[in-house]
Amino acid sequence: MIEPLVVVVLVALAALAVAGAAGTATGRVPGRTERLAVGVVAGLVALQAVIAGVRVLGAAAVSEQSTFLIYLVVSVCVLPITTQFALAEPTRWGGLVIAVGAVATAVAVWRLDGLWAAGVAGG
Amino acid sequence: MAERPRATATGPGRVLIAVYAVFALSATARAGVQIATRFGEAPLPYLLSALAAVVYVLATVGLAGTGPGARRLAWAAVVFELVGVLAVGTLTAADAVAFPADTVWSRFGAGYGYVPLVLPFLGLWWLRRTAPVRAGGVG
Repeated sequence: MIEPLVVVVLVALAALAVAGAAGTATGRVPGRTERLAVGVVAGLVALQAVIAGVRVLGAAAVSEQSTFLIYLVVSVCVLPITTQFALAEPTRWGGLVIAVGAVATAVAVWRLDGLWAAGVAGG
Repeated sequence: MAERPRATATGPGRVLIAVYAVFALSATARAGVQIATRFGEAPLPYLLSALAAVVYVLATVGLAGTGPGARRLAWAAVVFELVGVLAVGTLTAADAVAFPADTVWSRFGAGYGYVPLVLPFLGLWWLRRTAPVRAGGVG
């Protein structure tokens, strides 16, 4: 993984979570703007996942490769799926559903970074 | 029909379903890896992880579905989840059982920001709030 990109991804996910929660708090029904924002953030997550995946399957060693790869897949899938679910019923609660997806993705990226750090330190 | 159940899968219920779905996914993935790669190290905790995963999947399906069947499934899964997190949480916190590996419910879900402890209460509250209104009642 590339640390600056991980930081960018985590900040973007945090911003998305806050924006989503704020949308629910203010009664805003998510629409096109939210879809675009999620698209940008999901793109960053996917870029991060591709780089990490290539490096793990190549030379870099992590302690638990299968766990790492599963987290990688989860980190990419969760946000698009939760966003689809959030926009399927247009109510104010959609923002909070997107926030849940963003937080879950952030946790996955966080764990990935931990596994990566442990692998680099250990090997 | 004497009673008309209100759907659990609308409004704030969708937030709850999203959280349950995330836990269902992560618990299933985690238990799958644990059982596939190192089941012999700690069979009981890993089976417990798998059981928790199944419970989260059933709760998600129950809450997302419509009709009395789905509601009953959601009730059963969420009650089981509450009993599970309280039982496993108490046993691990008191060190009554020397668990060699963590599960979702260990120490009341401390490893998951205590969300596993809060979630069943939210689930029960939501199921109660959306419970069928009996005909002839208020309203």
